Amino acid sequence: MKEVQEAKDCPAKKARGTFAPFQKLSCYLSTIENLPKLYAICVCLIIVFGLCSVPFISYEEDQLYPKSLDPSSSLDPYDRGGVPFTEPAVIIAQYPENAPAIGYVTAYLTPLSQFLADYTFHLGTTIVAHPGGILDEILYYTRGFDTIVEASILFCAFAIAAFLYRRSKE
Amino acid sequence: MMESILVTIPFGDMIHYLSGYTGVLFGFAAVFVLLAVISLPEKPVEIVFGTDGYSLKETPVDLAKFQRFMAIACGIATIGAIVTGDIFNFTLFAAFIGVLNIGIVAAVKNKHVLSAAFSYGLVVMMGTVPLFAGAAIIAATTGTLSIWELAAAGGVPVIAKLLLLIGVLGEGMAPFYIGKAEITRASGAPYILMIHVSSLLLFLRVVEILLTV
Repeated sequence: MKEVQEAKDCPAKKARGTFAPFQKLSCYLSTIENLPKLYAICVCLIIVFGLCSVPFISYEEDQLYPKSLDPSSSLDPYDRGGVPFTEPAVIIAQYPENAPAIGYVTAYLTPLSQFLADYTFHLGTTIVAHPGGILDEILYYTRGFDTIVEASILFCAFAIAAFLYRRSKE
Repeated sequence: MMESILVTIPFGDMIHYLSGYTGVLFGFAAVFVLLAVISLPEKPVEIVFGTDGYSLKETPVDLAKFQRFMAIACGIATIGAIVTGDIFNFTLFAAFIGVLNIGIVAAVKNKHVLSAAFSYGLVVMMGTVPLFAGAAIIAATTGTLSIWELAAAGGVPVIAKLLLLIGVLGEGMAPFYIGKAEITRASGAPYILMIHVSSLLLFLRVVEILLTV
């Protein structure tokens, strides 16, 4: 245990007993185990500042991606209206010129999904759990690139975990 | 800063773009991705002190393959963070770079390096909270996430900018840990460079975003 402690101390501390405040600070920073602590303190300070500034920031009513809940609908909370193939759902896009099929993606339901939606109240909880389930337009069409990046993050995290797990078994 | 746009690549609500500034960053990142693709792992030489003897350390093939994959993915994520024109997309790419940096650091089988990777992982996990909080506050207070709209309308609160900055700081803190762990001289040397490149470019990009919005 003592050896571990010595390894964590920086060389300046070992060489001399007393040193200037700047040396102390530099000693503290050069010990990598201290950096998460320091970072957490910075985040806390900014969050305290943020809580103090809450009265000065206001919620914008004109949201690009509004959310309305209708608990009586069987597609709740993803009911955005529309009829498959004929009538598009009401979706707001930042750049409508980039989304020619806007509204049709969300409105689409396969016959099976339509059947489930007609006879149960829980289709909205199975957003993509079965083929032709509710496809949320904002997730998969206008902001579809986000979903790709999210999936890539998960894929790479799994790749790292798999590599480390297999190595631990060697 | 938004007037000198060279290229735009529309993806629905997200319009990626290259200006003169981000174009230079893009070129830099692309060169390093190419280097990671074509380079072979370095073989560190260890000299036996006081004698003429030395030993060559071979990098195992599976480790080299994994590190190369991580380095290339990290470079591509960096390019994504550079070209993106959407705040939430940018935060996703920043989190992506953090995860991939952990992968590059954690692949080396060395106790000091792994303990450094653990500390860095803690920072990355902490960093995602202010990062996404910043994007969420921007969406709530301005109603949009597009950098183009934000540049025209403005009104992004200071706290959101600060949260975004501290979040990127956490994701891009990896070079501190590598410096300490002396991983640049450990096996798998050329791929480690990508950590420095991605952190540097992420900082340059977040400064551009914060000055624009």
